[in-house]
Amino acid sequence: MASSNMYRIGDYVYFENSPSNPYSIRRIEELNKTSSGNVEAKVICFYRRRDISNSLLLLADKHAKDMEEDMDEASTDLSENERHQLNHKELYLSRQLDSLPATYIRGKCSVTLLNETEDLKSYLNKSDTFFYSLVYDPAQKTLLADRGEIRVGCKYQAEIPPLINENGYDGKEDESREEMVWNPNNELSKQQVDQFMVISRSVGTFARALDCNSSIRQPALHVSAAAASRDITLFHTLTCLHKNKYNIADAISSLVPKTGPMLCKDEMEDWSPSEANLFEEALEKYGKDFLDIKQDFLPWKTIASIVEYYYMWKTSDRYVQQKKLKAAEAEGKLKQVYIPNYNKPNPNLIKPVNGESNGKACEGCFCTSSFQWYTWGPPNMGCRLCATCWMYWKKYGGLKMPPSSRLERMHNHKIKGTDKELRYRPPNSGVAIVATGGPHRAQRISHKTKQAFFLNATKLTRLARRLCNETFSIRHYSRRPFEAINIAAIKAECQVRLSSSPKVTTKFPQKKWPPLSVVVVRLLTLRPQLTHQSVKKSLSKIKTSVEVATNNNHHLLPSSGSLKRSHHNGIAGQKMGDNGSIYRVSNGPQKKKRCLNSTDASDDMLFVCTDRIRDIRKRIKSSDQRSAARKPTKFLINMPKFAMKPPPTKHINPEPIVIDD
Amino acid sequence: MALSNPGGSRKVCYYYDSDIGNNYYGQGHPMKPHRIRMTHNLLLNYGLYRKMEIYRPHKCNAEEMSRYHSDDYIKFLRSIRPDNMSEYTKQMQRFNVGEDCPVFDGLYEFCQLSGGGSIAGAVKINKHQTDIAINWAGGLHHAKKSEASGFCYVNDIVLAILELLKYHQRVLYIDIDIHHGDGVEEAFYTTDRVMTVSFHKYGEYFPGTGDLRDIGAGKGKYYALNFPLRDGMDDECYEQIFQPVITKVMEYYQPSAVVLQCGADSLGDRLGCFNLTVKGHAKCLEYVKKFNVPILMLGGGGYTIRNVARCWTYETAVALGQEIPNELPYNDYFEYFGPDFKLHISPSNMSNQNTMEYLQKIRQRLFENLRMLPHAPGVQMQDIPPDAVVSGSDDEAMDDPDKK
Repeated sequence: MASSNMYRIGDYVYFENSPSNPYSIRRIEELNKTSSGNVEAKVICFYRRRDISNSLLLLADKHAKDMEEDMDEASTDLSENERHQLNHKELYLSRQLDSLPATYIRGKCSVTLLNETEDLKSYLNKSDTFFYSLVYDPAQKTLLADRGEIRVGCKYQAEIPPLINENGYDGKEDESREEMVWNPNNELSKQQVDQFMVISRSVGTFARALDCNSSIRQPALHVSAAAASRDITLFHTLTCLHKNKYNIADAISSLVPKTGPMLCKDEMEDWSPSEANLFEEALEKYGKDFLDIKQDFLPWKTIASIVEYYYMWKTSDRYVQQKKLKAAEAEGKLKQVYIPNYNKPNPNLIKPVNGESNGKACEGCFCTSSFQWYTWGPPNMGCRLCATCWMYWKKYGGLKMPPSSRLERMHNHKIKGTDKELRYRPPNSGVAIVATGGPHRAQRISHKTKQAFFLNATKLTRLARRLCNETFSIRHYSRRPFEAINIAAIKAECQVRLSSSPKVTTKFPQKKWPPLSVVVVRLLTLRPQLTHQSVKKSLSKIKTSVEVATNNNHHLLPSSGSLKRSHHNGIAGQKMGDNGSIYRVSNGPQKKKRCLNSTDASDDMLFVCTDRIRDIRKRIKSSDQRSAARKPTKFLINMPKFAMKPPPTKHINPEPIVIDD
Repeated sequence: MALSNPGGSRKVCYYYDSDIGNNYYGQGHPMKPHRIRMTHNLLLNYGLYRKMEIYRPHKCNAEEMSRYHSDDYIKFLRSIRPDNMSEYTKQMQRFNVGEDCPVFDGLYEFCQLSGGGSIAGAVKINKHQTDIAINWAGGLHHAKKSEASGFCYVNDIVLAILELLKYHQRVLYIDIDIHHGDGVEEAFYTTDRVMTVSFHKYGEYFPGTGDLRDIGAGKGKYYALNFPLRDGMDDECYEQIFQPVITKVMEYYQPSAVVLQCGADSLGDRLGCFNLTVKGHAKCLEYVKKFNVPILMLGGGGYTIRNVARCWTYETAVALGQEIPNELPYNDYFEYFGPDFKLHISPSNMSNQNTMEYLQKIRQRLFENLRMLPHAPGVQMQDIPPDAVVSGSDDEAMDDPDKK
């Protein structure tokens, strides 16, 4: 177990930056002990798909497609579900460095560069394995493939010489390529060479005794003998033998020329103690900048001799001592660190209430039983994940199933509004043609909680609805809201039709929405308990939202402020608003006469059917009622006249009906 | 003449110049030519020195370097010095000299020695005077035609291969450095007379080339082979890819000479991320040796210098077919090898990210590419005017094919 908890430089690890978000994936570059005794990890950041923008993802997918062409065919036919999970396994390398406390480490994983021979499915089957093929620059927001290039052209290739003769060299001896310094095919036996080496070292020892410099520095005979046994003497001895054509007698006489016995000294021996001190002083001052050391401290030495001395000095005791000091300093730099398993409960863990799983099913797999549950998503939604899906979310940053198949599974559940998963919509799954951008825009307009959700039909969408009656039956799909629509086919048909009959009416009757003032006045009559001031305040907010909404050619849905839209009883909102009947909402902010704020509005609303409404219903033709149900935002044209009159105030229940979620 | 003894013992020529170790790239630079001297001293004290022909190579000249490199680049390398750098700022940028490839005292001589050794080794092989030639100062595989790169200025490998091509129809280049042998691959990307095979870490790693899909171009298509690897390669995995790939390459290509770049950064290394041991690294050489084709062995990367010295010492022993004890002999740099003072190193406990499945898939793909090769492609024998051959001094006459 210990080895799995031992984290080393170069390991890929999960880091927990926040309890509710997925882990970050990092590679340990350095482990440093801080002065407080904690271990800080310097890490390289990897990014997930969810971390980078959609436009870049498009680019990345295009790159992946190119790559797929190189891949084995078997790996390309992935189911939608597999693609979805594979997206969780793809990372983007960055060159961004980060520093994190090592205690945030939550386990190891593996990240590898995707190779085209690999089956993508192999990444699906193995847990904690990720791949990358692109490098992401978080500052520039760019992606790039990290692949060098071998250049082709006469500027890069060598000119290949013609073959002279394959059978080998027929030319004369090459004049001067090399100089032989040792030939193993000599007359001498190994023993003879060894003997000559001893003679040479003895001569060297004697020469040191004669040399006054040496005799002062090496008072002991064995020190002189050791000095005479250094590699320089050995090399010289062998060269001497070679030069004398392996004739021992000649070689011996060359060891003792007329000038005296041969003395070979290397830099280590040659340098005086004062020079050695200067060198150490210089090394402390300049580090290993030998050019500066030469200039300022040892101008009479060559760089080569300083370098040679330096490498020999490193074997000396003085260096070893220095090294120990340095090692103590470097203790802060760790090679590995032991991080025990993290056992503290995650704050998102739902404390079991009598062991009962009272709550929604798991958002990821729809199971209803799990030994642990975790809250997930925006807190007001009360969504939760089972233990398995929670781990999946933490590690891979998504839910196991793609949104489309989750939608199918959710058929029997009520729609919970937009959720983050919609971001991961695979390009062709086409959740619904009408949903393009809807949820996000809605959010932006109203600054509302995630549940705000309305469908925004753009002009093009509306056009497509009419044009593409071949591939797209609006009635069919409106009855089966969970069926995936093939958006590509519709696009194709739309293009064909547009080009074949360019005179298609692209104008749609502009929807007439009541002007803002009317809405506000109605609001006031609806809510007499609202003060003018508070309305004014909220009005400014509503106004901006309304402007944005109309600019974008949105239906002015009561998505902002206190105007509500219910998903389930859509008939109510507008109709009742029109005839001034009551609909009351929510957790009682009105009670306190609080200013209406677009952000604190709740989405849950209740339609209270009063006697009056029942009365109205009775008067409306059933066909009108049905049409109203389908077009909740439309005025009821055949509304009985009296209903349009402002109702007498006394009929209004002055107390709001308070509903708790 | 060549002694082809399958028993393991081979004639080895070894090239070394004692000046090489004193070249210093600069403070904090990981490339340390001193490692070549450390290797040399170990060889001496292991007694291996006495068992091979030792040569001091002559410095190669600018004209020899220009057989591959562009004239203005070599001229620049010849003129640049730490004290005149400021006059060359523009050219330094153009030739990528400055940061990774700094200007240091004796830079040009360093290039001359490294190139001289490799060319001399190639000539030795051309003359059939040796089975194996070794130049640990060579193997600088990143240098480009007009550009320094990755601590390499002059591509001694390309120069040596060009020399070999005079007498060898097909030359195989094998690169077991952890980095891709991009300089050599680029130089011979469009020819079928040199096949380049490189095993290297790929993905967010210098020099960024070496994709499986890079297979050569033009006439050289399928004559470049790249085996991209991931972190943590160990001896066992390396053997399982190296041997079958090289077997197939030998079978299909049938080279008459092999150049083996023995970059030692594929061991546990300061800049590397593989986990080979000295034994695993040397297994590659052992295997190549079995084919009885002359080998030019060159150095390359390697930035944990004590391990570089261990590795190249052991590989010299393997080249000679000699067993050497694990106990390191005393030498001038003995203290570098503490605390254990042993020849062999143990692998670290880093995890191997190369799964068997991954390696097999890549291997499979490379085999498919190899099947595209015609068996042992021939080159048309060039018509050489008789006077060119007669005019003797081989290199000079053949240097410049345009003259003929």
